[in-house]
Amino acid sequence: MAEVEQFMKDMGAKIHAKIEKKRRLYFNVSNDDIQEIAEYLFNKIGCRLSTATAMEMYHGIEILYHFSHDKTGQYFCPRLVIKDKKNPKVNSITSIIEGAIWIEREMFDLWGIDFIGHPRMEELLTIHHPGTVKNPLRFKEAA
Amino acid sequence: MKANKIPIGPFHPLLEEAEYFELTVDGETVVDIDMEIGWMHRGHEYISEMKTFTQSIYLVERICGICSTSHPIACVHAIEDIDNIEIPLRARYIRTLVGELERIHSHLLWLGLAGHFIGYDTLWMWAWKYREPVLEMFEIISGNRNHYGMMRVGGVAQDVDPAKLIELHKHLDMIEKKMVMIAKAAKDDPVLRSRLKGVGVLTHEAAVAYCTVGPTSRASGVPGDVRLDEPTDAYDLVDFERIVLPNGDVYDKLVVRVLEIIESIKICRQCLSKLETVTGPILNNVKEISPGEGIGRYEAPRGEVFHYIRSDGTNRPIRHKVRAPSYVNIPSFKASCIGIPIADALITLASVDPCYCCTERSIKIIDKNHDSCSFDLIKASREKTEQIRREINAD
Repeated sequence: MAEVEQFMKDMGAKIHAKIEKKRRLYFNVSNDDIQEIAEYLFNKIGCRLSTATAMEMYHGIEILYHFSHDKTGQYFCPRLVIKDKKNPKVNSITSIIEGAIWIEREMFDLWGIDFIGHPRMEELLTIHHPGTVKNPLRFKEAA
Repeated sequence: MKANKIPIGPFHPLLEEAEYFELTVDGETVVDIDMEIGWMHRGHEYISEMKTFTQSIYLVERICGICSTSHPIACVHAIEDIDNIEIPLRARYIRTLVGELERIHSHLLWLGLAGHFIGYDTLWMWAWKYREPVLEMFEIISGNRNHYGMMRVGGVAQDVDPAKLIELHKHLDMIEKKMVMIAKAAKDDPVLRSRLKGVGVLTHEAAVAYCTVGPTSRASGVPGDVRLDEPTDAYDLVDFERIVLPNGDVYDKLVVRVLEIIESIKICRQCLSKLETVTGPILNNVKEISPGEGIGRYEAPRGEVFHYIRSDGTNRPIRHKVRAPSYVNIPSFKASCIGIPIADALITLASVDPCYCCTERSIKIIDKNHDSCSFDLIKASREKTEQIRREINAD
């Protein structure tokens, strides 16, 4: 697909561990590069940020962004792994994509990931749940 | 003039789902809006990790009563995406048929509520009257009027009885006739046009910035439609149009939905015709899911439903992410509600179709000094319609 080939040509130096499937491209990026990747996908080739999936693995906390290129049905999925599980911090992409505000707030709420530069870093889903466990989707020993 | 804050929700008869809106008004004009969610957070994603893949399909069917087949379709798409599982041709037509019938009944539900909010109770009653035959079609196909339990990894759970196809065609004929009538009435009515044109405009730029989906974005000139962008099931085998309008106001959102009903009827008719001739199995026997990750999506009535599933090779997902369309559409109120009169706030909030019910509603305006007075949003909305009707009749 032309968009994928062009993306690899322009951003190839910043992406690692690429997994390519039919209409899906998963790849790893570093925290330093995520904003540049988001800028390229959203503003340059017109992708829409569908959502982002956070998950806790033993090797760290993963954030998998899902960018949809609606013209072709292609999904670009940058994966960011945060090794510091005690104090997870990443750069926010809300300055590039307004639609990421709730998506990042939800990850802050359920996983405790701090997004640097987010305009309103507060709970989204559990804000009115008195007495509930903080960051409920973290492993218990790390929460 | 000092700004007043109007709280709506979280548990309010206006809202079928619990959400909280806080409108800040200066006189009659909305100057700011804040939204809060989380009142219905049921932990579906976490629960799904404790279920088998098949059980997860039933779980996600209960996320939304209106989109009760869109989530299961997106869920099975995600699981099938892990192993590139193909599904039989007959099952593809059945999935598409059920999905499109859901779109018709959901859009009719919205059309009725929109009519009620602006004082068009005839439109409300007609839309809901002709929604009933759609629910009867579901009953004929699946045995249920809602929560159809039709989706399985590798196909569908039930076949459509060939003896019932004539009856389904007859239902569809009747619905089509009435939908053409309602579409004409809704598009040509001068009061409706005056009441909704230019109201609650979501610009193309704002629709892109907020990453909105479905009729909310298509009414703002953003052409995304999963059925055509990434055709799955039988969408690449049927003929239908992408409905996109440019203005972003409530009127365009109404027209997009009305025209989509007509397109959905076309799709259903093609599926029913194909089910007369296409025979064969409806389910591929999928015994296990490999380790890996998959993305599944489906164009629900409100827009793209997104599911992501990661498997470690056992019979359960280790991560199941769900994103419903209202989650990305609701934040766009920041762009569409600010600057509009309070009488237009109700229909603007309703225009993204966030599952409103239609019982009696009343809210309190609370000012900074904690003085309060009664304020009826739907009354204000209906009074504005009545004023437009009087002006048009006087001309």
